Order: sequence, then structure tokens, then C-alpha cells
Amino acid sequence: MSCKKFRILLSAYLDREITKDKEKELLNHLNTCVDCVRELEYLKQIKRMFILKGKKEPQEFFETRLFELIKNKRKQLIWQLYFPVIKRTIMVIIIFFLIIAGWVNYKKLLYHRTTETISDLLVDDEIDENFQEELLVTYYSPLK
Amino acid sequence: MEEDFELLAKFKNGDEQAFESLVRKYKMAVFNTIYSIIGDAQEADDVAQEVFLKVYTKAGSFKKKSSFPTWLYRITVNSCLDELRKRKDKIISLETEFDQDEELKLKDVLASKEEDITEELRRKELENIVQKAMNSLPERDRIILTLKEMEGLSYKEISQIMKISLAKVKVWLFRARQKLKGKLSFLYPQE
Repeated sequence: MSCKKFRILLSAYLDREITKDKEKELLNHLNTCVDCVRELEYLKQIKRMFILKGKKEPQEFFETRLFELIKNKRKQLIWQLYFPVIKRTIMVIIIFFLIIAGWVNYKKLLYHRTTETISDLLVDDEIDENFQEELLVTYYSPLK
Repeated sequence: MEEDFELLAKFKNGDEQAFESLVRKYKMAVFNTIYSIIGDAQEADDVAQEVFLKVYTKAGSFKKKSSFPTWLYRITVNSCLDELRKRKDKIISLETEFDQDEELKLKDVLASKEEDITEELRRKELENIVQKAMNSLPERDRIILTLKEMEGLSYKEISQIMKISLAKVKVWLFRARQKLKGKLSFLYPQE
């Protein structure tokens, strides 16, 4: 195995994320390779830097500020949470009213059409009467 | 882990105190992860607040497929990526180069023993220097180094957070360490 492959193993070895077999193989290599031993020391040093660096505290009153932010956003959040439900409910109500309105109109139309047919017939009768009168006038009026 | 699930379950049932406990428990981890990735303490504080706000609003959608910290770190890393994307539109320069004075200080700090230097001074110097080196790395390397070196997560946890294979975690970490070593090359005069 080349030194490059052992160096990937070195990184995993440092993190204790290496199998026993690979570890054995690596340790054998370290016994013979000065460069890889030096590399391991560098990696340890970098790791040590992170440990010594320690952790930084967030700015003051982190929780207080967070809970204030949550409080301010809560109304907005509730609206965001319920808005889709409200929107859907409104849509259902509108569709329901449209269906009702459509049905009522349809009924009105049917009723109107029925009455219109009767009146149409009446008008037709009137036309017929007029026609007959005109016919009589045409046939029986004195000749000019 | 069970304790986190319990707290989360209580919070889902309306117990705000349970959420407060989760914040107290994880605020340092979240803040330090963000700070290490984006490199600015003020912005890290703002992003950390956003992360907990997301946890507050999305707690209902959390499934027990992963542990709570894994879920939290995923939200944190994604928030950092969003922040870094926003930054690409702005011109924000973070200090990434070391001057000679800082190089010497770092050598002293690393060579010194406990009694030679106060812990606080050592911590501050290292924080400044490590952060500068981190800022100079690509975001992927910063994330993986932060999760491993700062948070001490296992390869399995990192693979779940970053949604990559274990083999990739291994290789990416190796490459990130090589790059970081390159940035701190003044510490390794032999090469």
C-alpha cells in the first residue's frame, strides 16, 4: 500500500474510526515510515489546536432574545399554521355557495322556460288569430 | 437520546419549558458549529437564533428516524449553507491570512506548557488563529472539520448529517485536514 493510502488511514486512525486489521497494517507501516510518523504528529497537533481552542459562548441573553423572537413570531406562526386550513375552508364555502346559487338559478331557468313555453304558445295563438283575421280581410274585403 | 425524545414529546404537547431545556442543552453546540463554519460571531448568534426558531416550528415534523442531535445539526448545517449563499451576493471579507506575528504566537502557544501561559490567553490566540485558517477553507471542508474536530461527532453521525457515505466522510476529512495543514504550513518547516 502506498503512503498516500496510509495517510487516509492515519486520519481515520486519529479519529478511532479504523478496523482492527487496518490498524495493525498501519502500525506496521508506521514502524518503517518516518514521513508517515511525522504526518501523524502534525495531525495530532491540528487536533490539539481544536481542543485547546475551546468553545465560545453565544452573546448575552441568548435564551431571552430567542424567546422574545419566538413570542413575536408566534402570531405570525399561528397564522402560517392555520392559513392553509382557513384558505381551504373559505374555498369549500365559496364552492358550496356557487353550487347552491347554480342550482337555484337552474331551477329558476327551468321554471322560466316552462312559463315561457306557455306564453309562447299564447303568442302563437294570437299570431294565428291575427293571421286568420288578415286572411279573412284579404279574401273577403271588397275589391278595390 | 431518550431524554431528548422525552423533552421533544413534552414540547409537542405544549410544554414550553421542555423546549427551553433543549435550547439550554444545545445552544453551545449550535452556536459553535455555526461560528466555526461562517466565521463571524455576531452572524453566528443570529443564525443560531434562526436554527432554534426552525426547531420550534418544525418540531412537529421530527420523526424518530435519526437522533435529535443529528436532526438539529442537519438544520444547523443547512442554515449555515443558506447564510453562506446569501453572503455570496454581498462582499464580506473574513480574515484568512496570517501575519508573521500571529505565526510566532501560534508556535509559542502550541509549544508552551500550562504554567507558561494562562488558559484564557491560549484559548483566545488559538480561537483567532484556527478560525482564520478555517475561514480560508472551502465550505465543505469547514463543515466536516467542524463536525469532527469541534463537535466530536462520529463518522456515522457526520454521514447522516451531510448525507454522504462513510467512505466519503473518511476521504473528505483527510482532504480537509491536508488543506488545513497547508494553511498552517508555517508550523511544519520540515516539509
